[in-house]
Amino acid sequence: MAVLLGLIVSGLLLLFLGENPLTAMAMLFSSLFRDGYTFADIFVKATPLMFTALAFALAFQANLFNIGAQGQFYIGSIVAVSASLLLQDKLPGGLVLIIVAAATILAGGVWGGLIGWLKARFNANEFLVSMMSTYVALNIMNYLLRTWLLESKGEYPQTNPLDKTVWLPIIFPGTRLHSGFILALLTCIGVWILLYKLPLGFRIRAAGQGKDATAMAGINYKTLYIIAFFISGALAALGGFVEVNGAQHMLVQGFNPDVGAAGIGIAILANGNPIGIIFASILFGALKVGGTIMGQLAGIPSSITELMLGSVMVFVILGYFVREKLEENREKAKLKEAVSV
Amino acid sequence: MPETPFVELRNISKYFAKVIANQDVSLEIRKGEVLALLGENGAGKSTIMKVLYGLYKADEGQILIDGETKIIRSPKDAMQLGIAMIQQHFALVQANTVTENIILGLVHGRYDIKHYDKIVADLAAQHGFDVDPTSIVGDLPVGIQQKVEILKALYQNAQLLIMDEPTAVLTPQESTVLMNFVQQNTSAGKAVVFITHKLREVMEVADRIIVMRDGRVVGDLRRNETNELELSKLMVGREIHERTYVEAVVTPNQAVGLELQNVSIRDPKDNVFQIKDISLQVHEGEILGIAGVSGNGQDALCNALSGYRRLTKGKILLGGQDISNTTVRERIRLGLGYVPSDRHRYSLIMPMKLTENMFLKRSYGTIWRKYALIDQKSLNAYTAEKIHAYDIKATGPDATAKSLSGGNQQKVVLAREVDLGKRVIVFDQPTRGLDLGAIDNIHRTILNEKKKGKTIILISTELSEIFGLSDRIAVIYRGEIVGIYKNHDLDTQKIGLLMAGYTPDTTSDQVLHEK
Repeated sequence: MAVLLGLIVSGLLLLFLGENPLTAMAMLFSSLFRDGYTFADIFVKATPLMFTALAFALAFQANLFNIGAQGQFYIGSIVAVSASLLLQDKLPGGLVLIIVAAATILAGGVWGGLIGWLKARFNANEFLVSMMSTYVALNIMNYLLRTWLLESKGEYPQTNPLDKTVWLPIIFPGTRLHSGFILALLTCIGVWILLYKLPLGFRIRAAGQGKDATAMAGINYKTLYIIAFFISGALAALGGFVEVNGAQHMLVQGFNPDVGAAGIGIAILANGNPIGIIFASILFGALKVGGTIMGQLAGIPSSITELMLGSVMVFVILGYFVREKLEENREKAKLKEAVSV
Repeated sequence: MPETPFVELRNISKYFAKVIANQDVSLEIRKGEVLALLGENGAGKSTIMKVLYGLYKADEGQILIDGETKIIRSPKDAMQLGIAMIQQHFALVQANTVTENIILGLVHGRYDIKHYDKIVADLAAQHGFDVDPTSIVGDLPVGIQQKVEILKALYQNAQLLIMDEPTAVLTPQESTVLMNFVQQNTSAGKAVVFITHKLREVMEVADRIIVMRDGRVVGDLRRNETNELELSKLMVGREIHERTYVEAVVTPNQAVGLELQNVSIRDPKDNVFQIKDISLQVHEGEILGIAGVSGNGQDALCNALSGYRRLTKGKILLGGQDISNTTVRERIRLGLGYVPSDRHRYSLIMPMKLTENMFLKRSYGTIWRKYALIDQKSLNAYTAEKIHAYDIKATGPDATAKSLSGGNQQKVVLAREVDLGKRVIVFDQPTRGLDLGAIDNIHRTILNEKKKGKTIILISTELSEIFGLSDRIAVIYRGEIVGIYKNHDLDTQKIGLLMAGYTPDTTSDQVLHEK
């Protein structure tokens, strides 16, 4: 419903630009299925988004706001590229990938866990801390790219390309779709199992929805804050790993600057559900790919996709509050009726 | 011909999403009088005054000022009509001076602070307040901050001053000063509404007393025509014995199930003891009732028992084992069940399913585990069985706690805690806000657990509940146990006096102090 409204509003915006929204939309959709490469790219784009969306969603289940997925994503990217470059000549590719993945999880987890610890220990506002931590991460990355990680040629602030042995294998030859997508799907399912099947996930959700009752049940919700942020940071960092070793094969200054923000939107669109995140990420991926192509073809600014995504998100959020309000009014009406009888 | 009251509330009702905060409340406030709004926590006293002050919007009813219907949308409207309210939590800017706080929002553009300092100083002197207008509010003790709030109201020339639990933060001396001010203020023709649950204050200062209970007005009396006993009865309500005490069917086993030795908790903020030197023993198969007007340390006592708060002093022994320093989780494991009075906040997680709420206190245990996963099947079966056994009206184990009525929610809590509390169960106000059917059901469950030989503590402000179930009754007043009696040695008259803080005439009664 909200998605539809968002599309309609962005269609109206297209009208202002003097384009026929219907033909533009039709073009967008047809272009997506133009060839296998483009179609596969939707999923390539969706892959890191799933991780950052999971990062936001998991913390959100504990009623915590992790706005810093972008920074955790960068930390993951830095660690992934450094570890890969360091180990690629010394160990077999498969083993390197496993070590790199473990290292990114640890680094992102510690980076995120620190935010959780500040929240638990000093009741620091995790929203602000996580947001600011993104800038710290960004500047660490920029610094490293100009110093230790700078390419051998020394021209641009980027790393040397990774050796083919440490690339995540491509699933379909002729496309860019790599096995990181599979990993993302599995992670979504894994997080779902964690949240809804494991006691730890249960405790995280319980702390999010009623922390006093949780405390009365002998559960230390402060520890849970740290754990939730650790996992959340690790998830976003894994996103950096799959993007670096799967799609980019190097680290470039200022790459993927909006995965964090898009992840938040996706998580909200999916109502925090890890399985919903799979579909919402693919939708966002499609809009991104389509937008780029649309911009190339018809002279429509490709920023229209951003607008489209933006309006979809606004309506998703509005829809949430409208539902809440309706619910409350219904309850009140019921109560009044019960009293008057 | 009586004069038109300054303020008249007619048939005000206010609903929150799930609760009736006020129902059909009508009252008058006259000029030159001190009106006390008396009632227990949650009786709706603050809500009705917040409606008058424009903080809440009434769902039904009218407000009349000087006989004219007015609509008060915000505190700003209220202030224009001469109504000021001092909240329990002061609305002062901590970083600003006294004068700045008082003139906040009342001056615009450039102003001469010295000029206002003088006005405030004069105003303070006029009322005998020792307040320096230039000091920073954050540096002042609470008692003085309250005076700043009062000065703010006086500066705005408020005709009606509403004070919400004003003495809660004051020392006895400060309270006396406040009382004097209140009387002086009303003799000048202004009105004061005093919201409180303390009987003594009411008798000291009020001209007229309105007693509220469960969101309704249950009494409107003149002070010189009533007494503390009558008021406490009105406040606590229902004097009728719905369940008469049956002499213990099973004689309490002599083994002591739970023992408290000099248990004290001091509030770290103001160093006041919330409970002090509480010592008592409860035997297996015995129900010990703890009676008292709410706000006399019951919450702190519950927190001490559940392990939610550390003891400042003293010991708690569970079947002889010292559990004073154990965590909440450890005590649950040892077989301590606890039914908190605020089930929305402390017992249940409202948006979660019944199964999840059943699981809540057992997430660390090994029951309902299949490998590392939650064994949803047996958890569902368990919940379904409890729904049946306790006759819980729910669509099934997957229903959310929110979707149940209050009585059914409490049954869910009871089902969980009765199973968890293998040795001791603490009930805090287990039937608050429930209808008679649910109350009866819960009482039967409690008696049943007693029969099984469990050690039970029942904390309640409902005298009928205390008298109907307890083998022995302890009375708590200002955080201390003022006496422990056998059920038959007490009557409502005597317990009412004890609850109001009067020491009983020990010569004529056999007081059975434990130690």
